[in-house]
Amino acid sequence: MDDEVYSFALKNALNEIRNVCPDITNAFMFREDGEIIAGDENTPEKTMVHIVDAFDGLLEKADSIGGVECVTLEGTNGRVNVSCMRDVYLVTVTSRKADMNYVNTIIRVLIPTVLRLLEKICPTSLKSNSPSTETEATPRIPTPKELEKLEPMMEPAEEITMEEPKKTLEAETKPEPSLPEPPVNQLIVENLGGLLVPSDTVRIDSEILSQWEKLYEGNKIEQVEIGTFDGKKMQCKVKTIKDSKYEGKGVIQLPEKVQLALEIRKGELVRAKPIIE
Amino acid sequence: MVKKKRDVQEVAAVAEPLATEEVTSVDNLRATLEEVKTYDGVIGYILRNSTSAAIDLKDPMKIIDYAIISSSALDAGEELSRFFDLGEVKDIVVEGKNVKVLLLTVGENKVSVFMEKDADYEKILRKLR
Repeated sequence: MDDEVYSFALKNALNEIRNVCPDITNAFMFREDGEIIAGDENTPEKTMVHIVDAFDGLLEKADSIGGVECVTLEGTNGRVNVSCMRDVYLVTVTSRKADMNYVNTIIRVLIPTVLRLLEKICPTSLKSNSPSTETEATPRIPTPKELEKLEPMMEPAEEITMEEPKKTLEAETKPEPSLPEPPVNQLIVENLGGLLVPSDTVRIDSEILSQWEKLYEGNKIEQVEIGTFDGKKMQCKVKTIKDSKYEGKGVIQLPEKVQLALEIRKGELVRAKPIIE
Repeated sequence: MVKKKRDVQEVAAVAEPLATEEVTSVDNLRATLEEVKTYDGVIGYILRNSTSAAIDLKDPMKIIDYAIISSSALDAGEELSRFFDLGEVKDIVVEGKNVKVLLLTVGENKVSVFMEKDADYEKILRKLR
């Protein structure tokens, strides 16, 4: 749930930045390990995946210059800026005529503020850098006292982002969950075909399934919830990937029927979390 | 006094004779880059086109690392431009914690200038354009 709140707040912040500054045509954020955290509504997920892939090589090989802190590209029709903020890379695309001083002021003030705020509300989401840490992390639910302290700080950002997450947090403080919050993994869609393939079963890396089972003290995970970045969700049966070429690659194999229902295709990203009965 | 050996390395020889104009333009560009190299904070440069490449770096140990960064940044730039319809890429600046890289295309030539973090890349850009 933490990840969803985090992603939701950032998505709204990015949309609001675009509203305040229409010269920003696209904005999205990703972690160094390639995980896309949030994108504005104008940027298709596929584009984000391709751009992150394109940056992967550069980020991996930039040790000799001390890692990448900022990349600026100027084209004949516009500019792109990629800046590293608190271990998160923010990509902004602006039109050629954009006032870069104004754009930079907005980005350098708003985004770090939102990130700081979210770090206080749900620190585990910011720190998780790999699927394994995500799985092991125990969500920290703020106490009512902490929430009271946070509220005055949240006021300026609330206008932009925080209405729904606040409700969720309030709801979460009431019951003390007996089981850990289900971990969410971002996975790349691969096709799953064949004559005897059941249309309601997806396949996930055995390592991820065993991590989930370990987290839930050996409970067998038989179902998962798959969610797209457009908000579509579906529950499916789950089994481990058979094809060795997909093992350890952060892939989820989906039958055609599931892909159609979720309106996604091979190569796109989905979120998967275990369903515990 | 021992003269410092010039560390320009011809990575690939010219495969076929270039037209006179091209040779002149590459020579001019290299002369400009030699001048740029004397600017405050400039560490070196990589110049390459379809037939040849020249690398001149103060620290020859970093030639491969810097060549890879240069190529990765240019590839990433092309992808960004393609997906966001940015047209022709005029220049790219990659800032690391210690080093900054300016990448640009001059005619058929791809130029990467490596400099210290606080060096003035705009001055170099003006000189090369």
